[in-house]
Amino acid sequence: MKRNTKPLASLAVAAAAVILLVLVAAPAVAQVKIRFQTWHWNETPWVNSLNEFMKTFNAANPGIEVVRDDSRYGDKEAVFTTQSQAKAAADIAHFSYRPIRHFAERGYLLDLTPFIEKEGGAKYLAQWDASALEICKYKGKIYCLPDDLNPLVLMYNTVHFKEAGLDPAKPPATWAEFLDYAKKLTRAGRYGVGILGARQEGVFMRFNPWLWGAGGDYLTPDEKRSALDTREALEGFKFYVELFTKHKVVPPGVIEQGAQEVRTQLAHEKVSMIITLPAAPGIVQAINPKMNVREVMALAPVPVGKKKVTSAWFSLRVISAFTKNPEAAWKVYNAWYDRDSQMRNFKIAGVLSSRLDVRNSPEVKADKYAQVFSAQTPYVKLEPLVPEWPKIGDAMLTAIQEGLTGVKTPEAALRGAHEATNRALGVR
Amino acid sequence: MRAGRTWHDRHLGYLFVLPASLMLAAVLIFPAVITLKLSVTPEGGSGWHLTLIHYRKALRDPVLIQTFKNTFAFVALSLLGHFLLGLGLALALNQALPGQTFFRLLALIPWTIPDVVAGIIFRWLLNPIHGALNPLIRLVFPRFPAEFQWLSSPALAFPSVIVANIWRGYPLVMVMLLAGLMAIPRELYEAAAVDGAGWVKRFLHVTLPGLRTIILVALALDMVWEFRRFALVLTMTGGGPGTLTEVLSTLVYKTYFQFFTFEYASAMAILMSAVLFVLSLPYILLVGRER
Repeated sequence: MKRNTKPLASLAVAAAAVILLVLVAAPAVAQVKIRFQTWHWNETPWVNSLNEFMKTFNAANPGIEVVRDDSRYGDKEAVFTTQSQAKAAADIAHFSYRPIRHFAERGYLLDLTPFIEKEGGAKYLAQWDASALEICKYKGKIYCLPDDLNPLVLMYNTVHFKEAGLDPAKPPATWAEFLDYAKKLTRAGRYGVGILGARQEGVFMRFNPWLWGAGGDYLTPDEKRSALDTREALEGFKFYVELFTKHKVVPPGVIEQGAQEVRTQLAHEKVSMIITLPAAPGIVQAINPKMNVREVMALAPVPVGKKKVTSAWFSLRVISAFTKNPEAAWKVYNAWYDRDSQMRNFKIAGVLSSRLDVRNSPEVKADKYAQVFSAQTPYVKLEPLVPEWPKIGDAMLTAIQEGLTGVKTPEAALRGAHEATNRALGVR
Repeated sequence: MRAGRTWHDRHLGYLFVLPASLMLAAVLIFPAVITLKLSVTPEGGSGWHLTLIHYRKALRDPVLIQTFKNTFAFVALSLLGHFLLGLGLALALNQALPGQTFFRLLALIPWTIPDVVAGIIFRWLLNPIHGALNPLIRLVFPRFPAEFQWLSSPALAFPSVIVANIWRGYPLVMVMLLAGLMAIPRELYEAAAVDGAGWVKRFLHVTLPGLRTIILVALALDMVWEFRRFALVLTMTGGGPGTLTEVLSTLVYKTYFQFFTFEYASAMAILMSAVLFVLSLPYILLVGRER
């Protein structure tokens, strides 16, 4: 019996053609994946900006794919450290300015200097705020570019102000006014001010304006010893903790309150004032969509003590020293830092870029919230960039919690932080 | 029969345990050796220049010594709670009651909940503003403060964490004791009853002796688990207020990942492991003797 082999042969030819096509096409669709790590993937409105960046970049760069890599704010350094020890860190990662030099010292960060040289060197770097850029330099190399640099300000509920007989157009300008307003705003089920006491780095940003505003500081000018034993440091420390312990203008459970909890209290009208950063209006809006945040909430400079000073949220992105694709990682990194991308971050998340052409753009200057934040930039102060900072900061967190809960008197709590700071610095 | 076994028969077992041994070496022994080496390396150093400086520092570190005390108190009170609650529930669930299986499953639920989740549950439960506990107490005692602070109270933070840990961890002890109770012959109770023993005497002279070995094993295992308890404490208090609820595992984590002093944190971890090993010796000896 003669078998018809034609269909079989056709099938074989078709299969061979498909295999050939796949083999030929494969290199064309092979993509380098760049892991883009940040905790903002889980935060609205930030995630919208990130998704937009990812979509735009991936569409314009078929050979490279930006992929989402989630971290958590509380343990982002721990995750990056572990991943770096295993030489498997995300290609691009996001931090505050605090751990950058530690990571550089440990060899976890890619030296960006050669890439920057190729882009034009000094001319390229001139696009950024020079003082912000200094944080990225370590031992003659550049390990990052500054991202958002945002002074902290006072955010308050104007409706609550009116209810308490306060003029929303005249926010508290001094510490005495701030305390007076906080007392007037405190009533049944609502408190005048929300402050942080949880064990997280967000505390420093909200606490430092009081420490520095009183004329106090963490370290002596030569950064060799603790300066927490001064009368000024105690004044600032006491003002902060006594808002809760003495004046009762802060909700209970203060040492359980982190940045997000306090913003939630503001969003749900449990508190009337908080010290916060530019992304806060968007976050508060996301927490309570029913509130018209731009109508209800107003911003003002942090009330002034002896010195006009504020702290800042200052974040940076780095490229891992262990990336397998440094060129592609740089391409993604550079795209994140370009003007359009940074402007998008302002429009979506409300943050102020360190890029001068974005910060000085008409859009930013015309925004009612951005105006307040920008005006505070000259008064920004950062924590000391000494290697012992994590221990010093931990000692201060311990002191703040001890002061807030009455484990120790403010004097004893701050003395404990002073002694721990000197121990960390090796002072005998 | 042993004489008849071939070389192949005698050594085949080694082949079967090889994958598990390799896995153990990769995930346990290798990191342990690295940690040990790190603990005797100068800060920021590398290579084979070894030092005991971190151990000397650790033995004089007041924070570490206080944290050891906290950890011992945490473990001892958790064990006591697990034992009392576990034994009580095991006795209750050993009775022939309607819905016995359902109640046994219900009592096991806390064991299925991860530490992090349990920590977050309790943190919200105890929150003075949004928490569920204060309103519940006020249903019974209307004059109880509406915004009572649990985790922010220096006096109540540590007990609150221990209560949460007792709730989360009692099922392990309960299940083991329940298995032990079910293995005690009924005839012993019947004979004791015939001799006129009341329930207290039956418990003291039949139940407890019958459970002795299981109690020892359960508490020894539980002690090892509780000594390493980490996520529950971290999510509930982060070690605060101040350092009142700091335990060894959270301190090691902080020292390693927040202070970036890998070497000192490794020395702490080695000391912690050494203490844990000493505390586990009764269990190890018991298991060895049983074999």
